[in-house]
Amino acid sequence: MIAADPPFLLFLLLASPSAASILALVPDARVSETAARVGSLVSLGAALLLLASAVSGRWGAYLGVDPLSEVFLFMVTGIYSTSVWYSRSYLRAVHRPFLTPQVYYALLSAFAFSMVAVLVVTDLGLMWIGVEATTVASALLIVLERKPASVEAAWRYTLIASAGLTIALFALLILYTATGTLDGFALAANHPAVSLPIEMAVALALVGYGTKVGLFPMHTWLPDAHSEAPSPVSAMFSGVLLPTALYAFLRVYNVLPDPAPALVSNLLLAFGIVTALVAAFLLQRQRSFKRLLAYSSMEVMGLAVIGIAIGGIALYGALVLIVAHAFAKSAAFYCAGNVLRTTGTNRIDQVRNLRETMPRTGVAWVVSAVAVTGAPPFGTFLGELLIVVGALAAGLVWVAGVLVVAILVAFLGVNSQIGRMVFGEPTGGSATPIAGPDSGWGLAYLNLAVALAIGVAALPYLSTGLRAAAVLLGGSLP
Amino acid sequence: MDGTTEVVALVGVGILLTALYLQSESFVDPLIRAIALQSLLLAGLLGWLAWTEQSVDLAILAGLAVAVRALFIPYVLRRQIRAFRWRARELHAAHRVTGHALAAVALAIISWFVFQQTLASVFPEPGAALPFVLLVQGLLMLATRSNTIVQVIGYLEEENAVVYAGALFAQAFPLFVEVVVFLDVLGVVLVAVILSIQRDVTGTPEEAALEELSG
Repeated sequence: MIAADPPFLLFLLLASPSAASILALVPDARVSETAARVGSLVSLGAALLLLASAVSGRWGAYLGVDPLSEVFLFMVTGIYSTSVWYSRSYLRAVHRPFLTPQVYYALLSAFAFSMVAVLVVTDLGLMWIGVEATTVASALLIVLERKPASVEAAWRYTLIASAGLTIALFALLILYTATGTLDGFALAANHPAVSLPIEMAVALALVGYGTKVGLFPMHTWLPDAHSEAPSPVSAMFSGVLLPTALYAFLRVYNVLPDPAPALVSNLLLAFGIVTALVAAFLLQRQRSFKRLLAYSSMEVMGLAVIGIAIGGIALYGALVLIVAHAFAKSAAFYCAGNVLRTTGTNRIDQVRNLRETMPRTGVAWVVSAVAVTGAPPFGTFLGELLIVVGALAAGLVWVAGVLVVAILVAFLGVNSQIGRMVFGEPTGGSATPIAGPDSGWGLAYLNLAVALAIGVAALPYLSTGLRAAAVLLGGSLP
Repeated sequence: MDGTTEVVALVGVGILLTALYLQSESFVDPLIRAIALQSLLLAGLLGWLAWTEQSVDLAILAGLAVAVRALFIPYVLRRQIRAFRWRARELHAAHRVTGHALAAVALAIISWFVFQQTLASVFPEPGAALPFVLLVQGLLMLATRSNTIVQVIGYLEEENAVVYAGALFAQAFPLFVEVVVFLDVLGVVLVAVILSIQRDVTGTPEEAALEELSG
């Protein structure tokens, strides 16, 4: 542990992305890019210090952190930083963008700010506002490339996510009426007596926040938005937006005593199983590589929800999986962005032989595909293994069986498709035309290194934070 | 029956009627007027409660409901119709009006029943199920309509349900939270309007353009 001043770090966490968002609006594009870069690094630094200090507590009526929020803060600010730095090369390749670079960076930082806000507040009502604000801040980013399909995707995202979140707000109202407070930290410390209205509130929160997490059948916005958004934004959607919405649900779920009532935990298990299976099978028939990654994220969220429902060691596995997946999936989206901007297509069948045409991106693309689908020694493997072991330890052998099927089907689906893109010979004898240099791959390797380090427990503060977060939520450790 | 109970019952009936009307109308302009009326009814309820309970918080919320939901958002939406005249009627819904209305009534009854079975112990007041019914009506509208403005109206109806529930059950809901929720909703509507304009500029997405959203 290192000494730190938590209120100051919280101030930095909130102030740096919001200041970057405002400063990004100055007329000079270089200044706005620099503001976003500096803001993202300051917020990442503050999150790292907070994680290393391992402090828990609350400051004022509405602000507070604990190990769970510290781990998520590291993840959000980490992906925010790499996405900001990756954006320059991506934006250069966008013709006639819907947003100027200034507005793009302002919205990207506002998007990060809203996620950070979700993670540093103790009040469930303010947390809901933060989750809703992520929609407001990010919807226009999807339209950057000004295509009819991207406008349609942004529209669906705005309407479906907001409608779902209204159900979550209704759930909070029921919870408030039943308990008299929305203080998530206080409710978690002193669980109210379980009653049907409280269970109903948690179930409605699952449906509401589950819409934003991408749980089946409320997931329909997810593949569209992820595939149509610019790649740095897709990385933030898949890597940290879905987990942030899941975090908001976890805070409501944590109001229930451990173990959670069977009605709620079974509902959670059912949503997780159906989501993981549907996503694993749907990704087999994808023709766009970005949609392939989107369904893969949906499958991982399903696995994480299963881990949360089972509890114990599986809960710890779910947290490890979420964090490792965030870094691996963002790497995959950066590679997807490189491929998209140099080949001009997002069709899997139109891209071949990347190992020769884009060797650095090609290698990172294959490694990130392996990493997101849970291959050893990445953190995703550790997380998925612990969830399966947790299911077996809880006597849920059939759940373990379903998990293994979903994991294997998704693994084969993602890796066979991406493998063909990298190693496959071009049809008709002509290689995929390449319109630019093989660049922008460095950040993908950086994030893959973090996903790998999580798997081999080489990040001491993060490992400690993950274990403390699992214990906080009632989980157990290996 | 005291004054407050009478006002709550009257507003409840008015809101239920506007909700059913919203499901059965295919012209967009009357729909905007109806959602403004529904918001005004809610603002009236908030104002009445503010007056009887001498609550400044509720008075602020009543003022916000009038300014944001009954005036500003309907104004923005009506400007959209003027700019794009073909939006005045949702053609696809015109021949399905009877079906919509019947589905709305059936869903209202089902949602009322579900509320009574699960939440009536915490909310024993008569008419307590109405916000829940309204929430489901808003979702129905979002799910069954294709016109972008009408979808925004469905979303607003959902949000009205939450404000309505807040007024009836959670009058001590922190003012700060309620105010920011109002502003957040405003943000969502503005983003929706920008996207809706862009949708018109890019044209109705054709099958070929939307092919990349399939699979």
